Amino acid sequence: MSSATASSSSNTKLDTALHVKYIQNLDKRQDLAYHLTSHLRLNGIYWGLTAAHIMGQPSTLDREGVIEYVLSCWDEDAGSFGPHPGHDGHILATLSGIQIMLMEDAIHRINLERVTKFLLDRINDDGSVSGDIWGEIDTRFTYICLSSLSLLGKLDEISSKKKQNIIEYIKKCKNFDGGFGRVPGAESHSGQVWVCTAALSILNRQDLIDIPLLGSWLSERQLPNGGLNGRPEKLEDVCYSWWCLASISIIGKLNWINKDKLINFILSAQDLEDGGIADRPGDWVDVFHTIFGLAGLSLLGYPGLEDIDPVYCMPAKLINRLGLQKPYATLERMTSYP
Amino acid sequence: MHGIKRSRITPQAAEAKRVKEQSKIEAYLALQSDVLGRKRSKDLTTDSLGQTTKLLDLNPEFYTIWNFRRNILLTLFPTLSPDEVVAHLTSDLRLTTSYLLVHPKVYWIWNHRKWCLESVPDGPGESVKWKEEFWKGELKLVEKMLDADSRNFHAWDYRRYVLASLPTQRPLLDELKYTQSKIESNFSNFSAWHCRTKTLAAIWEKEHTSEIEIRKTKDQEFELVTQALWTDPNDQSGWLYHRWLVGSEPSLDILQREMKNIKDLYEVEPDSKWCINALAHYTLLLAKNSSTTSDDEEKLKSEAKNLYRRLEDVDPDRKNRYKDMGMSTPGSPIQLDQG
Repeated sequence: MSSATASSSSNTKLDTALHVKYIQNLDKRQDLAYHLTSHLRLNGIYWGLTAAHIMGQPSTLDREGVIEYVLSCWDEDAGSFGPHPGHDGHILATLSGIQIMLMEDAIHRINLERVTKFLLDRINDDGSVSGDIWGEIDTRFTYICLSSLSLLGKLDEISSKKKQNIIEYIKKCKNFDGGFGRVPGAESHSGQVWVCTAALSILNRQDLIDIPLLGSWLSERQLPNGGLNGRPEKLEDVCYSWWCLASISIIGKLNWINKDKLINFILSAQDLEDGGIADRPGDWVDVFHTIFGLAGLSLLGYPGLEDIDPVYCMPAKLINRLGLQKPYATLERMTSYP
Repeated sequence: MHGIKRSRITPQAAEAKRVKEQSKIEAYLALQSDVLGRKRSKDLTTDSLGQTTKLLDLNPEFYTIWNFRRNILLTLFPTLSPDEVVAHLTSDLRLTTSYLLVHPKVYWIWNHRKWCLESVPDGPGESVKWKEEFWKGELKLVEKMLDADSRNFHAWDYRRYVLASLPTQRPLLDELKYTQSKIESNFSNFSAWHCRTKTLAAIWEKEHTSEIEIRKTKDQEFELVTQALWTDPNDQSGWLYHRWLVGSEPSLDILQREMKNIKDLYEVEPDSKWCINALAHYTLLLAKNSSTTSDDEEKLKSEAKNLYRRLEDVDPDRKNRYKDMGMSTPGSPIQLDQG
């Protein structure tokens, strides 16, 4: 389980300037892998832009270019955003589109009415939520639907009956270990734990979370090398620095893990030559692990970073300005580290 | 990128790679533009179907193309005989099988399979043999996927979906046997333990099993999990299952028996944090038990507190949790701070 290279770098610092450069260069290296991942492009921009905000550099990407790109991803037939022009609209890309437009202060430029309808139409009678018209069901989509509507100020357009159904559905996805799965019957997984705790938080139903039980499960995700895994007896991965950490922040138990060890693990996964953060020390970096590593560091109070909201995974300042802040606890921002 | 080692390459090597890739990129982009063009112009033909196969061969994560493929098939099906529909579905299942062997965690491939399965027509003739055969085949596929990676949650979720959809339901006991074989080949497979909790609960609910029978089954389960705990007390899978078996309101004799078993293990493994954790938790459950006198309750609580204090030393990464746990009893609410 332990990785020899992980905790060896306690003097490493976060190289913010290098990571900002890495994000700016993401579009420049158009190799085959770049084209093969166009179905994640809008998510990628959200990850990069949020990372830039956390590092206090919100103008890292060209604002007008970003806005134009988001608008070009609009799927007129579906009434939602796809991840890239010509791709089908899906709830996954739609949340990213909304988040980007809010961060760029351009939300008025999207078709609010149609997006709201698309989101409301995804809610099924049994309280589950589908990703698109093809009907795949996953608690990720439950969270995305609630988060999107909440960010648009449209949460109250879900009838109270439907809200109750959604709550009942999430309850069915809860397991004896305190965690949550993708669908009823599915094993607890940190990613699904985050979407379910954040969804319950948006609905002001944190009372349905068994805090001591889930907090214990989440704290056991930390391995001896400091990194967090997503399920029992699995390998560590920097992205769980978000899924686990944001969940444990929402239930107010961030101090139940070893902060220093996790900080060092994330820092050791940086590429200190070309920027970016990888899943594990020594692996290739990508923007997905870069944002979730940075977001984790922010929750842990790493110096110089902006606050991130653990329920929405967006700059806390923006969420507070929208009046959407829910109860959670983060660690105090340090003035220096180590 | 998940699990791929970073390597430094010289600028010359990078340039050589780019040039080498250039023709592949051009071919990919040309194909993509062809297929997306057909999609835009609603060219829902067999010819387009063939093009989607070529593109998905290169990129099975391109969900828009899967959607387009289904729209083509949905357009073709009403013009075809049931046999021809079955032939199409068979070939799509073969296609997705080959993709899944390379990309076992791509949601979109699993989704397309579900759609195929759900589109199998009745027949041949008056029978529902096609459906029976397709679903039975699915169970074999998912077993193969779980043999390759016994923790793949996509495969486990898909397995539950297939079992729930089989035209002729299999006895739940078969699933219990399956999880047992998975557990016995690797005690660390928490996915299988998890599945066992769901299967047992489903059996008890379906058959209205009496308390006495449940208790008999649980005794056998305690035996199984005890083997796992003694094999590797540092593996949390068995401990989680043990806690599920004990539940929140165990009968006094079970609680006492299990605490004694764990104490035996604790003597051999005095530094096993899982052992101490379980003992502390069960000691607090015992303190809450209705037969416990108030004197004993205080004594038990203080025993639990000592165990949590010991955990602060044995497992310092989580010492704040143990401090909090030592101050409260199970089930009592821990206040949520305002962020």
